[in-house]
Amino acid sequence: MASLFLLAVWAEMKMVYAELIRRKYMLLMLAAYPYILMIFILLIGMSIGNRQIFIQRIGVSPEIFFLVSGFLIMSILGTSDDLLWRPIYDEWIGTLPYVIASHIPRLYHYLAIPIPRLLIAFFTGLTSVLPLMVYYYGLHGFIEGLAVILLGLFSSIIFIPFIMVVMGFIYGFGNVNWRVINVIRPILLVLLGAYYPRYLMPLAGYIVSSLVPSSHVVEAIQRLLIGSLNGLYAFILLGVATALFIVYSPIGVYSIGLWEKRKISEGVKTE
Amino acid sequence: MYFTDTKICIDGDNGLGKDAVIVAADLVKTYKTKKRKGLFRGEKKLVEALKGISFKVYRGEIVGLLGPNGAGKTTTIKILATLLLPDSGDAWVNGYHVVKQPFGVRKSIGIMLTVERGFYGKLTGRENLEYFGALYGLDRRYMEERIDYLMKLLELDKLGAVDRMFEEYSLGMKARLGLARALLKDPPVLLLDEPTLGLDPSSSRMIRELVRKLAHREGKTILYTTHNMFEAEIVCDRILLINKGRIVAEGSPEQLKSLIPKLRIINMVIRGGKGVEEIVSSMGFEKYEAKYEDTIVNLKISVEKPEDVLGELIRRIVNAGHEIISLKVEEPTLEDVFLYYASKT
Repeated sequence: MASLFLLAVWAEMKMVYAELIRRKYMLLMLAAYPYILMIFILLIGMSIGNRQIFIQRIGVSPEIFFLVSGFLIMSILGTSDDLLWRPIYDEWIGTLPYVIASHIPRLYHYLAIPIPRLLIAFFTGLTSVLPLMVYYYGLHGFIEGLAVILLGLFSSIIFIPFIMVVMGFIYGFGNVNWRVINVIRPILLVLLGAYYPRYLMPLAGYIVSSLVPSSHVVEAIQRLLIGSLNGLYAFILLGVATALFIVYSPIGVYSIGLWEKRKISEGVKTE
Repeated sequence: MYFTDTKICIDGDNGLGKDAVIVAADLVKTYKTKKRKGLFRGEKKLVEALKGISFKVYRGEIVGLLGPNGAGKTTTIKILATLLLPDSGDAWVNGYHVVKQPFGVRKSIGIMLTVERGFYGKLTGRENLEYFGALYGLDRRYMEERIDYLMKLLELDKLGAVDRMFEEYSLGMKARLGLARALLKDPPVLLLDEPTLGLDPSSSRMIRELVRKLAHREGKTILYTTHNMFEAEIVCDRILLINKGRIVAEGSPEQLKSLIPKLRIINMVIRGGKGVEEIVSSMGFEKYEAKYEDTIVNLKISVEKPEDVLGELIRRIVNAGHEIISLKVEEPTLEDVFLYYASKT
């Protein structure tokens, strides 16, 4: 069974990398994305606020905070985009019937889909988060930056079953449509707490956000950046995130099954 | 109903013989559509795509589902490929029930649903096959060998298509790659939905020949949909004529032709045409058609036994001073058969 998963990862890697390498501007965009986002947010921030007040309130310089946030958003939401877009893309280009008619276990397939892009996110972290952290904090920044990148990737992986649940139920009960993604994306953006830290949210927001596994890891990263993360709290945050990953996995498989069942009952489009 | 239990079909102990690889029993499918009436109002409409079709396909046999657009061909293929649930009825493929055991069915079939689409445009032909091979769980080494073999078999290597991106493919190359994907896991059953639609003659011929070879040499069981009468006649061992969700006739092309009233067509081209129609009507022919072009008449007469009337007809035409330029007696075509049954449903 493990070999089936590795086969699925290998297939997805070939597909994603072939597309990326043959569209070089996309590679460039991926490397530039965290910087572009950081500059954009800093420009807005500087026009309406003050850098010192930001440091006082958040506890870290805005350049680092927003660059890390951009990296996290790129890796975590990249995962959700990959999964939510896939059925729409497959239906559009006509590959959906062949994917549904394949006999690979669905959890393996959906776990494999975002992995190639996560590896790219890792390299994007090396070109964005790491240089800035080294510039600000030297060798300590290098170690912290590496931890941020690895935690970012971990938060993306544990996001997969949660997105499978969202995807299966929304597509299963509603409709497969790119407009749905436009609605879900900003909600996820807020709930992850990447741009507005979760610990600053009102209680109701904090509770809802806690249901998203990756939000715990995002909080751990933010606390690591401001230097308020102790070992026990880190263990609790990562433990809760992992537990949610385990809980969501079977529900994710079930909800994907629900969507496929609905698709088959109305007929997979072939033309 | 042929079967009431999945196991009966797997055992093959069902009185229908063990070699029935595809079995459809009383399949019914109705689609719900909405007819829009303005921006907010709509009217629900039911379209009966299949009205209880039953058939069997035996091992090593090519059966054609022949019918016009909207007859229910693709719906049938989709149900058998586990891509659509029937409202009622049962179907088995290679012993697996299409609703209760879809994974078993999926392992047994190779499908080709459209010629133009269904691959990733930025991937080469080989990469696309590798991708789907991985989804089918094929071993890497076996997959590489199989892809090389299929590329040669479908002459994609000769066309330089192996390492070319799919988006640069011609329609013929796309169809060949589609067939290669269907054959990738070497399945015992192939479900091919209009595999030659829109193709150039050489690609069509190549695919038709290959399909026959796969069934008759390798023992694959093939369900082949088409609305091309000529193709159905030369590819299929047996044809199911389907119209408006029902199978209206079934048999080999020759059997089907023999089923319709035995009308043959006398086709004559005559010079000095005026008066030909009078001769024809004086002999009591009811079904005839005459087309005039200057002094040339193209005459078509439908008769049951041309040998009984042809001598007398020629004698009268020649005696009236006309010149017969050409004469042939045509057998009914599959198209005539199809039109005959279509007019009856």
